[in-house]
Amino acid sequence: MTDAIAVPGRFYDGQSARAHRVVLSVRDGHACLEGEAQRCVPLAQVRVSERTARAPRKLTFADEACFEPDERAAMESLLHATGHRDGSVVRLQQSWRAVSIALAALVLVLATGYLYVLPAGAAWIARALPLSVERQLGQGVLDVLDRHAFRPTRLPAARRTALAQAFARLAPPRDGAPPYRLLFRQSRIGPNAFALPSGDIVLTDELVTLLEDDQAILATLAHELGHLHERHMTRRLIQGSVVTAVGTLVFGDATSLLAGLPALALDLRYSRDAEQEADDYAAAMLRQNGIGLAHLERLFAALQELEEKDGAPPPYLSSHPPSAERLARLRRQLD
Amino acid sequence: MSAVLEKITPSAAPPAVTEERFVFTASGSEYFRIWIVNLLLTIVTLGVYSAWAKVRTHQYFYSNIRLAGSSFEYHGNPLAILKGLLIGVALLGGYQLALHLSPVAGFAMMGVMAALLPWLLWKSLQFALHNSSFRGIRFGFRGSLGGAYLNYLVLPIASVFTLGLLYPFVHQRIKRFQHTESRYGDTFFSFDAKVGAFYKAYGHLIVLQIGGGIALGIAGAILGALLGWAGLGAKAGMIVPFILIYPYMLCVTWAFMAVIQNLIWNHTQLGPHRFVSTMTWQGLMKLYVTNTLGMIFTLGLYIPFAHVRMVKYRLECTTLLVAGSLDDVSAVKGGEVGALGDGVVDLAGIDLSL
Ligand SMILES: [Zn+2]
Repeated sequence: MTDAIAVPGRFYDGQSARAHRVVLSVRDGHACLEGEAQRCVPLAQVRVSERTARAPRKLTFADEACFEPDERAAMESLLHATGHRDGSVVRLQQSWRAVSIALAALVLVLATGYLYVLPAGAAWIARALPLSVERQLGQGVLDVLDRHAFRPTRLPAARRTALAQAFARLAPPRDGAPPYRLLFRQSRIGPNAFALPSGDIVLTDELVTLLEDDQAILATLAHELGHLHERHMTRRLIQGSVVTAVGTLVFGDATSLLAGLPALALDLRYSRDAEQEADDYAAAMLRQNGIGLAHLERLFAALQELEEKDGAPPPYLSSHPPSAERLARLRRQLD
Repeated sequence: MSAVLEKITPSAAPPAVTEERFVFTASGSEYFRIWIVNLLLTIVTLGVYSAWAKVRTHQYFYSNIRLAGSSFEYHGNPLAILKGLLIGVALLGGYQLALHLSPVAGFAMMGVMAALLPWLLWKSLQFALHNSSFRGIRFGFRGSLGGAYLNYLVLPIASVFTLGLLYPFVHQRIKRFQHTESRYGDTFFSFDAKVGAFYKAYGHLIVLQIGGGIALGIAGAILGALLGWAGLGAKAGMIVPFILIYPYMLCVTWAFMAVIQNLIWNHTQLGPHRFVSTMTWQGLMKLYVTNTLGMIFTLGLYIPFAHVRMVKYRLECTTLLVAGSLDDVSAVKGGEVGALGDGVVDLAGIDLSL
């Protein structure tokens, strides 16, 4: 049967680029070339290139000599007759139905990975990692900020000590709160509070004067302690790296601008989740210590006023959800 | 008369030149299927399959490039690529971590990476060329490591210190290094584009950028004044040049890309065979605009189609003027080349395409 099929084509001997006109046929489990070159090799020692729609299917011999058929159809029927089978991945690639299922599976894997697996995995790794590792992150950030964004605080020492002591007296909502250092700074960029992975919680004079209410300042500090206790820096770092890596994998063929945007947009959700977790932490901490949630509300309201006045959120807040939204969320919880 | 003479003394006449166009037969829909399967398998294997994905993709693209009736072939070994990839992940991961840990460690690591980069690029070029073949003959790269350090590290640093004045010269030197040290079998590529031609191309780019920017600025000011008179608000007039400047700058960039591409390939030869490149800015514009729109409106599903169209356009702008025949090329048998640099170069998204 297979003797009947002869495939004309060109043979390259791997020594020179000269084409030899030959005819390929298969006899007794051997691939045989006849014409300007002769050879007969067991089929097991010949490699067939994978099937695609238009590229020629080449035979490559062990010595890198190769045979390129003139036309696809004759070669396909020869391969069919010899019982050659495509690999499973090739069959998958050639079937639109299989590819549709693969696409659906891909979307499913990416969505569950993004929504559940990655946040849970990052949280698990962050908890398993010793605190000292996180404390190594972002060293030197405070120095840079001190040089460019901050001046020494102008708050009276007594007021600072009072605030620090009041916050130290509050019990955290659950055990194992990490050690922290409370730092006061005068800011050149407006009211601000944030936690650094080093364990430093920075509070600006401007925020202290803006809030007036001491309990609201404690609520702010509780939010920042929440970031530290929940290991948000490490988690965000892991999540951000994975999102960027997968984004590059998927969109890497696009231009760099388009490749960066989806990763940026996807990271926003994680940032929002972290803020909500810190808000919840602050709410739980206030409740634990018998402080009314109205003081947390006061913080959000003050920030919202600031947003409305300035039109845009102040720099540090740009990573935070709009205060109105945080306020609404808190009110829903109070009901 | 001369025809008769040629028949009598064929060896005396220069070999006949035949025009061979590069033809790319890949299709977007087929590459889409390969791409989806590759992505799925890469993600569920946490990246391990990416080495096989790379080989499949390269094999697909290479085998669909036809020149003078024959097609190209990619021979990269997935296991070697995986090894290179792991080393690349370790290097770039260490770099990222160092950046996060402290600025000092980050700078130190940046220095290490810069010192390693030429070597990695050198290995990567060797790997890419060694694993490409045409008519059963492999390509190769013989550039020295010293040449790689000179062209990929020393000259670029020098161009930074001269505020970019040296940049066209560096660009010419890099291309000259790549194109004169590459070979197909025992036949070397050669490159004879002059430094002056690169300066001219860059000069045109800067004149078009600055001149166009000024013209659009003036037009905006006038338009703003006119609209202000008409009571429509000066702001609207000021916005117009901002809307116009972006597409204008893009067109200038495309024109520059086409000019450079043509300059490089019109001065590249493979042995006695000359390349001709006829890329146009209009062609690039059509391609980039439609590709970008396609990718946005399909949320990325158009990416493989865009990729195929891009490669097709670039290839099909190119012709090889074959002097005599390609038959005279002989193979050079050499050892395997490790994929060490390949992983880093891939991860860093560096485009080494010749
Ligand atoms: Zn926060």
